[in-house]
Amino acid sequence: MGPQHPMTHGLWTLKIKVDGETVVDTEPELGYIHRGVEKICESRDFTQITTYCDRLCYASANTWSHAYIYAAEDLLGVEVPERAEYIRLIAVELQRLASHLMWLGAYGPDIGNLSAMVWCLREREMMMDLLQELGGSRMHYNFPRIGGVKRDLPTGFALRARHKVKLFLNRMQEYEALFDESTIFLIRSQGVGYTKAAEMVNAGVSGPNIRAAGVNYDIRSAHPYSVYSEFDWEPAVERSSIKGADCYDRYRIRMEEMRNSANLVLQALDKIPGGAETYHEPGDPKILAKSPSRAPEGTSGSHHFEDSRGESMFYIAGGGDGRGKKPYRVSIRSPMFITIPYAAKTMIGYKVADIPAIMGSFDPCIGETDR
Amino acid sequence: MRVVSEKTQSAAAEKIAKSLSKMDGVKASVDERTNGTQNRYIVTVDVDVENWRATAESLRNDHEVDYCSMITGIHWPESEEKTWEIIYHFLRTGVTDPAIEEGVVVPNIVDFSKVKGKNVPLELQISIILGETRTPSVASVQDIWVGADWNEKETWDLVGIVFEGHKGMRRVLNPHESPAGFHPLQKQHKLRYHDYEEMYDDAQGFKRKPTDVGKVK
Repeated sequence: MGPQHPMTHGLWTLKIKVDGETVVDTEPELGYIHRGVEKICESRDFTQITTYCDRLCYASANTWSHAYIYAAEDLLGVEVPERAEYIRLIAVELQRLASHLMWLGAYGPDIGNLSAMVWCLREREMMMDLLQELGGSRMHYNFPRIGGVKRDLPTGFALRARHKVKLFLNRMQEYEALFDESTIFLIRSQGVGYTKAAEMVNAGVSGPNIRAAGVNYDIRSAHPYSVYSEFDWEPAVERSSIKGADCYDRYRIRMEEMRNSANLVLQALDKIPGGAETYHEPGDPKILAKSPSRAPEGTSGSHHFEDSRGESMFYIAGGGDGRGKKPYRVSIRSPMFITIPYAAKTMIGYKVADIPAIMGSFDPCIGETDR
Repeated sequence: MRVVSEKTQSAAAEKIAKSLSKMDGVKASVDERTNGTQNRYIVTVDVDVENWRATAESLRNDHEVDYCSMITGIHWPESEEKTWEIIYHFLRTGVTDPAIEEGVVVPNIVDFSKVKGKNVPLELQISIILGETRTPSVASVQDIWVGADWNEKETWDLVGIVFEGHKGMRRVLNPHESPAGFHPLQKQHKLRYHDYEEMYDDAQGFKRKPTDVGKVK
């Protein structure tokens, strides 16, 4: 199956061994769009790398550039102003909404629910408009900076964001009707691709895929970063069946996560220090702290980050070219690079026609997988 | 939101560092970093390469470190004390399968403000240093953490670290037909810069190598 795959927007191959219609063994082949981001980063300075991280995954650009920025701040020892942390949280949670909507919109057609796609992309466009107001472009925002953010919330952003997020929360009920009452969706997603929590942790799977199996492990609460601990929320958890989480559970958990993210955005707009309607010029110390541009040899920085698809991570070793102006080594942990081999093994024993349903439910993104 | 308190996390990190330091060839300490609103405590461990396998087993069995996050290989050709470095990042998640009561799954909701003992989430960073050698190698931990499998494949593919005992090693990001011994993240490979005109004059790239002389960036 592949490399022009029926269910993802990237190129990859899944080798399948079948007995009649039943899958006996699988082996994924990755690397079709390997761009060498880690190597390129070694010849760029710390600010320039952000743009490359945006392009790791087009559906979730903001979470990736933030994952990098937190690691770079750890390396350079920068303390971020509180207002900037709130703005980052808003940007990341809006991106998580957009990413999950993109997944939902793509997953419906994969398994026969064609009308859902345009609905999801309509809502995603609202989130993209909000993110465009922050970052300036539609998909690759290049929004965070080491020590803060590029720009403050624009005038009127809070009003529009509240309105759009509330409208989205209302429309969520329509989606749930569209999916939960669609016979074809239920038949194809229920009872296939069972996964167990402890097994997934050992295999390095994290994020929504593991929370679907009835545990509340979330990097945002187990290794708190940013200002997540100051909000009133709990990670979404799904009550799976006794066999483990199936594709339907993984769909449900993402619906709950979208509610969570929407509520976090609303809370952040209320709680942001200085008020959401205040505007600071770019570079103001309230939104951007000063940061050193060099990291001497022997220093390193790392950060675990809750991406839309699981735990992403950067490890940066300082002391590269230009007396530490560039990193010596940048290493990227892509959640999907580890999840895809695991997901490929969960489909053993099911039919060939179940492969798109199982694989799609893990939300694969090949851009970040191949780097 | 209920989060792990700094006190619990630092105490758990100190405890595991103390216990690991008693092993042969292992030096462990707790590194304190600040991120956002909370301090992070990273258990930083230096292990001798021959003690790595025993340390890994102890991490999994005695300290319940259950999640392999990332494996990084670094090539330091110009450094005096090391030529190769392998860095492992682990998390202790404390995740267990949810209980089943009367045929119904009860979701396992952990209150992170009250976790104790071996359930406290931890970050670990383990570094193994190798001297000058053309075949850097280290014991594989593929059978202890399934998640280490593809991380090790990637580290061999890109950096050229050999993982002894790894089953099914193959190219994962580079093309399968890449020449043996080609590992692009080793420092002798430089990014090559092509002039715009030359690239388009020679679309097939036949003359690319000679024109590159002197243009290494």
